[in-house]
Amino acid sequence: MAITSTVSADGNQVTIYIQGRFDFSSHQEFRNAYEKLTKAPSRFRVDLQGTSYLDSSALGMLLLLRDHAGGERADIDIVNCSQDVKKILLISNFEQLFSIQ
Amino acid sequence: MNDLRSLKILVADDTDTDRLILETIVRKEGHQVFSAKNGLEAVAIFQQEHPDIVLLDALMPEMDGFDAARQIKNLAGDELVPIIFLTSLQDTDSLVHCLDAGGDDFLSKPYNRVILKAKIKSFNRMRGLHNTMITQRDQLAQHHQRLLQEQAVAKQVFDNVAHSGCLNASNVRYFLSSLAVFNGDVVVAGIRPNGNMMVLLGDFTGHGLPAAIGAMPLASTFYGMVNKGFSMSDVLCEINKKLKTILPIGLFCCATMIDFNFRRKRIKVWNGGLPAGMIYRHLDRSVIPLRSTHLPLGVLPEKSFKDDVQLYDLDEGDRIFMWSDGIHEARNPAGDMYGEERLLEVLAQANEPAIIFDEILTSVKNFIGSGEQDDDLSMIEIRMDAPEHLQHPNHYFVHQQQQLPVEWELRFEVKPTSFKSFDPLSFLLNILTEEPDLRSFSGSLYTILAELYSNALEHGVLGLSGDIKKSPEGFAEYYAQREKLLNEIATGFVHIYFAYSSNIDGGSLTLRVEDSGAGFDYSALQGKPLSTIGYSGRGIGIVEKLCKTVRYYGSGNKVEVVFAWVNDD
Amino acid sequence: MSVTQHISYDALNSLKEVMEDDFNFLIETFLHDSEDRLGKLHELLGGDDVDAIRRASHSFKGSCSNLGALRLASLCAALERKAFDRNIADLAVDLAEIEEEFLIVKQIMLDFLAH
Repeated sequence: MAITSTVSADGNQVTIYIQGRFDFSSHQEFRNAYEKLTKAPSRFRVDLQGTSYLDSSALGMLLLLRDHAGGERADIDIVNCSQDVKKILLISNFEQLFSIQ
Repeated sequence: MNDLRSLKILVADDTDTDRLILETIVRKEGHQVFSAKNGLEAVAIFQQEHPDIVLLDALMPEMDGFDAARQIKNLAGDELVPIIFLTSLQDTDSLVHCLDAGGDDFLSKPYNRVILKAKIKSFNRMRGLHNTMITQRDQLAQHHQRLLQEQAVAKQVFDNVAHSGCLNASNVRYFLSSLAVFNGDVVVAGIRPNGNMMVLLGDFTGHGLPAAIGAMPLASTFYGMVNKGFSMSDVLCEINKKLKTILPIGLFCCATMIDFNFRRKRIKVWNGGLPAGMIYRHLDRSVIPLRSTHLPLGVLPEKSFKDDVQLYDLDEGDRIFMWSDGIHEARNPAGDMYGEERLLEVLAQANEPAIIFDEILTSVKNFIGSGEQDDDLSMIEIRMDAPEHLQHPNHYFVHQQQQLPVEWELRFEVKPTSFKSFDPLSFLLNILTEEPDLRSFSGSLYTILAELYSNALEHGVLGLSGDIKKSPEGFAEYYAQREKLLNEIATGFVHIYFAYSSNIDGGSLTLRVEDSGAGFDYSALQGKPLSTIGYSGRGIGIVEKLCKTVRYYGSGNKVEVVFAWVNDD
Repeated sequence: MSVTQHISYDALNSLKEVMEDDFNFLIETFLHDSEDRLGKLHELLGGDDVDAIRRASHSFKGSCSNLGALRLASLCAALERKAFDRNIADLAVDLAEIEEEFLIVKQIMLDFLAH
């Protein structure tokens, strides 16, 4: 499993890509993707195009990101979910916390 | 062929002096001369010596030059044997007579050595061009012949692959012209182990070999999966994935796939890019179009592929028609296309459902008339029938067997030496998804397995408390402790047990996970709503939503969940 | 009438060049054939086969032109033309003129061989 990220030219948006299974084994990489930036971005995108499965620890990591990004004020899009991944996110009512596409 | 080559030249003239002069001139130019005193001799020598060029006097005894020319041209066949008439005839009629007889040129008397030399050279060059042309024509004919043979062989191979299914079942009629195969049309039909029939009609973009070649992986994937009982959406996803991988950009496959459940008299339809198929309901003679609602196969990447289907409940005797655009685009001599309206008209006028298939073909062929015979037609008809009426020569429908259940159990234990290094999740998921019925639930099954296993390992075997995860630092701390404990662990176990049971209507998977830990007070959990706050404690809630039942046993170190599904195929 | 109106020495010379040793044989053959042709024409004039006269004079014309006997060739051509037009008047006069011309040509050719 691999985590990669890109930052927009103006530094305002960071996109995090997750390949394979999304679980606790990548929590440090996942945090590094948004904590170690020189400028704090205002918008976040989590691209799950390459994500095959996720478990509840991944949900915890998404919540960590949300709190880091300002909690209720956080602007986070979760994009390119497969049907399986989306199902888990919806079961957990994450559509109330994130914009899920 | 170069100018220096010695040619064989036939000289035919009844006047001794004229012939003598010509023989000498021709010989001096380095050619081999054959002489004849009249037309009969000329023809005889021609047959024997096959000269390259013939110099022929027009007026000769026995047989004149005109008849001799005709016979020589006839004998020469495809080969160009230039005939130069030796004549001082002046009148137009005589000259035309020479040309009609097959003469290519004239040489008038008195003979001029320079002119004769130039004419021989020029005709020799023409012979060279002609021979090249004949050779190329023959090569072309050979290539064409080979192409036809290859197409016949390819069609045979293709038929063997395509017809390994049930296209000759009693409720199926189809028409697939050989040209249609090489325009990329493909029809496959197979029976699933549950007795359902799956049919796919595809039309690859493009023409010729590039279009036809995609049909092979499509057919082999189709039959491989249908025979094993994979669902329609699995088959479609897999074909789409395969075609997306192997086909170049711009080459894809418009297709309609239908899954026929004869027991429930229901069909599932997926149409990506093909002209609308039609359901003909024989009770009220109504027609329901099966329009395309998806992109063709091989266009979208796996993740974006849409496999949602339309369901239709039918009556016995209803018929489904599918066709590629060859019928819609068939043109009459005026250049008009047949189009969907004419198809609907044939269906509207139909009195006898059994012959609609023939009526459509006849209508299209009559429409084309003397127009361009593309012969690029593909059509298939499937009749909804009672399972016990269906017959197929080398494949019997399994309606008698379809109640047979599948049941198995699996016990699995992870030993303490392997907690750190071994990840049982992928391993077990691979086993589970070998069951076609479970394949489409792989996402849910992964999550259930992952939650139960990590609970058993982390809270049970390692004794970690989820409470640590309350802050971002705690989250990291939790996994640091987990890592540390895994390095130290020397005892303990996680037992995993599966019981699988399925039949025609659906099935269940029971999963029991037991660990060597102390357990927990599960009575407090019951009825507690799924938390949306906090970084942990969400897992078991997800499992409860995904499973029919979740029960704890013993001291709380044993959990049993039942995952169930209903087969709506 | 000068000799060159009866014979083209250019034609004879170039024939001699081409035929080399066969030149004498060619001329002898021509003279011999021509006498046969004249005899044949005499016979035909007694009959009414104008087409045969046309063909015979056509053939004679061809060989004369090849041998450079220009005037003889044109006399034959005139006879051929008359036969073609089915104009049979005074054919004997035409043939007599041809015979006279042939004797001149024969003498010139024999002289040419002798030199």
